[in-house]
This record gives sequence, C-alpha cells and structure tokens, in this order.
Amino acid sequence: MGGWLAWLVLLASLALPGQPALAEYGDVVLNRRSEKEGMRPVIFSHWFHRIRFQCKVCHQELGFKMRVGSNDVRMADIINGKFCGMCHNGDVAWGPDRCDLCHSGKRGLPTGIYGGHETSGPGRW
Amino acid sequence: MRNLYTAMILASLMGLVATAQADTKGKAIYEKACASCHNTGIANAPKLNDSADWAPRLRKGGMDGLYHSALEGTPMGMPRKGGFLDLPDADVKAAVDYMVGKLPAKVVSVASAPSAKPAQAAPVAATQAAPAPQAAAKPAAPTVNSFNRLMKPAGARNAPPAEDGIHDPENDGTLALQHPQQAYTGLPKSNAGNRVNWVASLNEKKITPRWDRVDPAAEAVVMDLDIVREVKGTMPDVLYPHKAHTEILDCSNCHPALFEPQKGANKLSMAAIMMGQQCGVCHGKVAFPISECRNCHSQKKAAPTKVADKP
Repeated sequence: MGGWLAWLVLLASLALPGQPALAEYGDVVLNRRSEKEGMRPVIFSHWFHRIRFQCKVCHQELGFKMRVGSNDVRMADIINGKFCGMCHNGDVAWGPDRCDLCHSGKRGLPTGIYGGHETSGPGRW
Repeated sequence: MRNLYTAMILASLMGLVATAQADTKGKAIYEKACASCHNTGIANAPKLNDSADWAPRLRKGGMDGLYHSALEGTPMGMPRKGGFLDLPDADVKAAVDYMVGKLPAKVVSVASAPSAKPAQAAPVAATQAAPAPQAAAKPAAPTVNSFNRLMKPAGARNAPPAEDGIHDPENDGTLALQHPQQAYTGLPKSNAGNRVNWVASLNEKKITPRWDRVDPAAEAVVMDLDIVREVKGTMPDVLYPHKAHTEILDCSNCHPALFEPQKGANKLSMAAIMMGQQCGVCHGKVAFPISECRNCHSQKKAAPTKVADKP
C-alpha cells in the first residue's frame, strides 16, 4: 500500500512540472549553497548581461566556465573580487551589499539553466 | 441670470469638445496600434463594432479588466500595449475607450458594474470610479491545451521578473530588476530564444556590449573565416562563421576544449548537440536554439548528378 502511494506521488510529480516555462531564455538559477545558507537562490540573467558585455568578458576574463554546473561560486570569492565580484564591487555594477538583487529566486528551485524549452528533454525529440 | 446661462452653455460645450478630443485621440491610437488585429479579428482579437466579441469580455472583467488586458497583455495573444511599449498608459486606455464606445449602449450597460451609468458615459466613469475587484481584472491562466504546449503563447513571452516563475515576487529586489521587454524595445526580433536577434542587434549597433570588463574602448579581435561542413543527409551543408563568434567570444571559449582547432579533427553530431555537447554548450541555452535549423544549415548542396548525365 505504501509503495503504491509512493508511485502515485512520483507520477504526480512527473506529470506536474513545478515551474511554468515563463523564465527568460538563458536565465540561470544558482542554488548549490544559497538555500543551505539561508538565502534565496541566485538568478543570473544572460539577457541582461549580454546587452552590456560580450560573452568573452565573463567566460574568459572572469573565469566562468561555459558548462552548466561547472562553476563553484562562493560568496567569499565574490566579496574578495573574484567571479561576479570582479564587476559587482560597487564600481562597475552594484556591490555585494545589495543581497536581494541577486538572491531573488523562489525558494526550492534546483540549480540549472531555465527558459531553454527548445532543448529541455527527450520529449522534444 | 443671463450670465449664468452663458456659463452653463459654455461649460457644456467645453465638455463636448473634451469628449470629442478624447474620442479622436482614442481613434488615432486605435488606428496606429490596434487596428491591424482588431479590425479583422486576427488571433481571436475582439473585432471593432462586434458586440458578440466584446460582451463576454466586458461581463467578465468590466472596463478595468479590458484596461488590464490591454496594458499587460493576455495569454490568448494580446501583446502588452498592443506591442507599442512606449505608449503611455492613458493612451492605451483611450484606445480601449474608443473601441468600447463603438458598441451599442445595451452591451456596455449590461456588462459594466452594478452602478451602471448610461452607456456612453460608462467608459469614462469606469476610469474615475473605484477599481473593479482585482480578481476579475487578472488575465486568465495560460490554457494547457493551447496549440503547442512547448511554445510560449505571445502573452507569456518575456514576462517581467516578478511573473516569470523563477523570481520570488515577495523579494524587494525582484521589483527593482529590469523588465526584459523594456530592454528589448527597438531590437531586431527573432522567432526563438529571447525573441531577440542578438547577432543583428550587434551588427546594427542597437546594442554595444563592452569587450573589456573596464575599458569601454577595447574592441574584439575578429577572425573572418567561414568553415563549411558537408552534411551526409538531405539537410543543407553547415556554414560556421568565425566572424559572428569571435565578435563576442574568445578563442579559448571553444578551442581546444569543445573543438580541436584542426581541420577534420572534430566529428560533430546533432545528437551530441542536443545533449548539450559541442555547439549545444551554448546553442539551446543562451545562443539561438537548435529549432532554428537553417541558421546553421544554410549552404545549399550542389545538385546530385543524374545517372543519364554520366558518360
């Protein structure tokens, strides 16, 4: 009986996608550490940044690897001027004291790239 | 006494003039922004002068509902402000007033709130009166069985941060973030991804992203070399432009981790790309998605030799 119920819950969770696919193409949720540390997940918007900077600035100068999940960004690094902190230092962009501008995601969102519905799963092909 | 009469007549005349001005303004806005769909009912838009189209909508949300739909767009396909994002709210409302004013009196009076004024006054009254219940003004949720559930309906594209499903609307910072539609105003459009053609935006200098973190004058080292890859199947061959890529990326972003910088050394496959390897590291996530086949498969193949032509 318990097993049956578990299957039902599993099926229900598969059938109801948690989030509506309304996120902007290329939005990234970073939640490897945020919620464990009591903060909202971080949302990085590619569209917002690519209007202002070429891809190369972050993916070469700042040292962000291109593959999803391959960047382990810690708040201490940012405050010390690495990764996001190379620009988010109150000089080029807002500083790390403006927590709620980056830590703005809904609680419980898993890390990953959002809004990319065109390649998001085997159902597509 | 006579002065009083004159004043009254003048006042009523001024009132008429004001209404007439509002009407002509609404008409002008309508013709500029709304007519292309609302004249003929494209994409199920309620047609001008068609009571049957307008009555259910008026009954549902009243004038406030209509204003909300016009300003914020609907999942049915109405774009925000009819796609003219730089129109002031008042102008959009004037256009709605104009469209509703064209309907017969009884449609409007049945539909408007219990405190229904005479029909002609209803649109104006609604703007000044207390707002209708908020629940009625909210647009309907996106329908599950819309034409293609994998594609966002027009009203659901480029949602503002607070409504995009990943930002927390209760977070104060969320409200301070830029609205994508505001950032995209005036940029060339595309049919996928952010619905913005980023390459064209850059080429037309509609956006001028910085090449260097701090130096605004630094310029990219562009390499203009096209690579044509022959494709086995029936699809056109692939033309890979180094130019469009080096304008925004550094060589080390792709070489050597994703692609060996040597002719013939890389075996590419669509399956790997769909799994997020090779081109799929960016295409399908931030660069235009792989649904846009012909952006890459752009080189027409030479016509095959017919058997009869052979010696």
